[in-house]
Amino acid sequence: MEVYHRPCDEGGFNAEEAHNVVKECVDAVLGGEDYNHNNINQWTASIVEQSLAHLVKMGKAYKYIVTCAVAQRSAYGFHTASSCFWDTTSDGTCTVRWENRTMNCIVNVFAIAIVL
Amino acid sequence: MAERHSRKQEAWQLEQSAESSPREPQGQNREDKASVSTVSHVDEPSPRDEASRLTVRMENTYQLGPTRHFPVAAVNHILKDVLTAYLQEAEYDPEFCRQMTKTVSEVIKAKVKELMIPRYKLIVTVYIGQQDGQSILISSRCLWNPKSDTVSSYALRNSTLFALANVYAVYFE
Repeated sequence: MEVYHRPCDEGGFNAEEAHNVVKECVDAVLGGEDYNHNNINQWTASIVEQSLAHLVKMGKAYKYIVTCAVAQRSAYGFHTASSCFWDTTSDGTCTVRWENRTMNCIVNVFAIAIVL
Repeated sequence: MAERHSRKQEAWQLEQSAESSPREPQGQNREDKASVSTVSHVDEPSPRDEASRLTVRMENTYQLGPTRHFPVAAVNHILKDVLTAYLQEAEYDPEFCRQMTKTVSEVIKAKVKELMIPRYKLIVTVYIGQQDGQSILISSRCLWNPKSDTVSSYALRNSTLFALANVYAVYFE
């Protein structure tokens, strides 16, 4: 019988590369800005959309889920956790934490392999 | 397609011949003047390298889509039940909430797995934060096949904390 080869993955998700890509996007959108309630909607939308666009440009056969949480930097507590049920050999995740003087930003990228 | 296929074979053989030195999962701190970012990995590379050498080769299923779609309403109920049960009466406390995020995400994952929806991969994310008059915005975008993949979400607020739970269900084609 024919053996079906998976042309994607090549060793699983490359978290380093994704981290760099996402960090550049966040820097581009939020770098040098101060927290502003009016713009925050637009900023999160652009961070997420740009990250997604850059991830797709990497050309790998993955489905992506990108989440972004931006919060004002003050004395408050915030926790986030995620648990995933997937194939650990091909799928992966990457988290980027970014902060400046006035705000904190956490971006999660989940990548799930597509078997073509 | 053929080129990618041959490249993959080559990469696979190279992996086999060279003993890949395990990369330590480290956090890298790059200090800029105005921003700090860190990377965190959860997986260890060495067991994954071995596992990818033994990657299962899938046969074609000839299925065009899921036989049973993901029941968004049922999962919404699960999220609501779990969050209210664990957090409705809770006060914000750093240690407690740190533990709770992990516990709640595991519990939600277990309950959704009980539904036994075939060929769906799950990602459960839980955010718990102190409600202190500050502003926070959480958003997400997904690149997937909207006919088969979906998201389900529930947010809960009480006097001292807020909690948001998302379940992303991705069909394994």
